[in-house]
Amino acid sequence: MDFRTISPQTTEELLEAIKQNQGKHFRFGAGYTDLIPELEMQMENGLIVINLAKLKDSNFTSIFLSEDGIRIGALTTMTDVLSNKHLQKFPVLIEAVESFASVQIRSVATVGGNLCTASPAGDVSCALVALGAVSEILIANGQIRTVPLTEFFTGVKTTVLKKNELLRSVLIPHQKSAERILSGFIKIGNRNSMEIALASLAYHITTDKNGIITSAGTAVGSVAETIRYTESACEFLLGKNMDQLSEEDKETFADNVLKYANPISDIRASAWYRHQVLWNISKSIL
Amino acid sequence: METAQSKISFTINGKKVERRVRSSMLLIDFIRNELKLKGTKPGCLGGECGACTVLVDGVAVNSCLYLVINVDGKSVTTVEGLSGEEQSLDVVQLSMVEHGAVQCGFCTPGMVMAIKSFKSQCDHNHHTPDREEIKKNLEGNICRCTGYVKIIDAVEALF
Ligand SMILES: Cc1cc2nc3c(=O)[nH]c(=O)nc-3n(C[C@H](O)[C@H](O)[C@H](O)COP(=O)(O)OP(=O)(O)OC[C@H]3O[C@@H](n4cnc5c(N)ncnc54)[C@H](O)[C@@H]3O)c2cc1C
Ligand code: FES
Ligand code: FES
Repeated sequence: MDFRTISPQTTEELLEAIKQNQGKHFRFGAGYTDLIPELEMQMENGLIVINLAKLKDSNFTSIFLSEDGIRIGALTTMTDVLSNKHLQKFPVLIEAVESFASVQIRSVATVGGNLCTASPAGDVSCALVALGAVSEILIANGQIRTVPLTEFFTGVKTTVLKKNELLRSVLIPHQKSAERILSGFIKIGNRNSMEIALASLAYHITTDKNGIITSAGTAVGSVAETIRYTESACEFLLGKNMDQLSEEDKETFADNVLKYANPISDIRASAWYRHQVLWNISKSIL
Repeated sequence: METAQSKISFTINGKKVERRVRSSMLLIDFIRNELKLKGTKPGCLGGECGACTVLVDGVAVNSCLYLVINVDGKSVTTVEGLSGEEQSLDVVQLSMVEHGAVQCGFCTPGMVMAIKSFKSQCDHNHHTPDREEIKKNLEGNICRCTGYVKIIDAVEALF
């Protein structure tokens, strides 16, 4: 593995580095837990890595409450997420991080890296999609554009990011105050630890004091080319009474989740298994 | 400007080090090949086994997935930093020995560093972990010999 690096410390230096290298082959490095294994497998000629690890810009490195929601900087680590007090009200996110790799990896792997790697098995990405989060992209001219995460992934390992852009942060918009929250992350794997999901389901559903479902966000991982927001399943739940869902309702919900699954058979599981297990876990959450 | 070489300055096991390094060099290679500290083990070289675990500012990381340029300004501890000629074994090492938690020993340095980081974090929070939490915190360390029970016993005895 051999590449040159640039380590910007300020946003100005970062933007300058991006502009200067438009004609060259460069990639960003954050926690390196995806980038190093990828480059060790296949080195890319003439690669320049723009090393984000030294960047001192709190928009990238911290998690904070703002008027429009909770903003998570792209460079915050999984460990930062786990210990942040504002994020505890999103069990879907916390459980996704808890299911993630090992302590060693969680201490360095970043939220932005998980999103930008665009793996269909990205656990934290799946939780953020279920939460209706929005990506905030910094353009080399200093401007920010926003793209909902539901539109962020364009295929396996591809995103809407252009060559002169990088992910700065994600915003979880404020949600209606809820009486009850049903929120969690189910990851199906072959073992308990250090597992890449065979299928996963992220859900965050809220009700009012009468049990009426006021918001629903569910997303699936590892069962299609990208993580997918299961919109029709969410719409199906809206307005229903959480405590009075019939067996048929639960099955209709699971059928709707499956509409977004197009799993493949590979060495870890068959398409048939992924289908079945996704249907079962979908039904089981209600 | 992009550089193929970078100047770094950091402390390792309490000693200050200043070097010019290849910018893409891994921390594990710097520790083993440049500093000749062979206690940090190369296992999978992919973040799966934890044999290469070291502490960066007190936190356990896989040195096989870490660029050496990113320890600039930080403090690194390897297993060699836990004990020495004047210093007897660290409590974590002593507990591993007492509980017979070492067989071939290949995973041991990484295991000890991961436990060290976990213990300081628990101490910091005045927290006594149960066996499940101990297991969860050793997810990133593979041992092919012991079957883990004695390692978990050794950690439990630290609290
Ligand atoms: C042993 C092991 C276990 C793992 N287990 C899991 C798991 O359980 N669940 C899971 O989801 N993942 C897992 N991963 C994958 C990986 O740890 C995560 O995807 C992690 O979040 C990547 O973050 P990073 O900071 O290390 O990214 P990096 O490796 O630094 O970067 C990843 C990619 O994103 C790009 N990038 C990074 N930051 C930005 C940015 N701000 N803007 C634009 N592009 C950017 C990089 O150029 C690169 O292409 C595992 C990896 C390993 C090695
Ligand atoms: S050698 Fe680093 S985790 Fe296996
Ligand atoms: S003692 Fe041999 S691998 Fe753990």
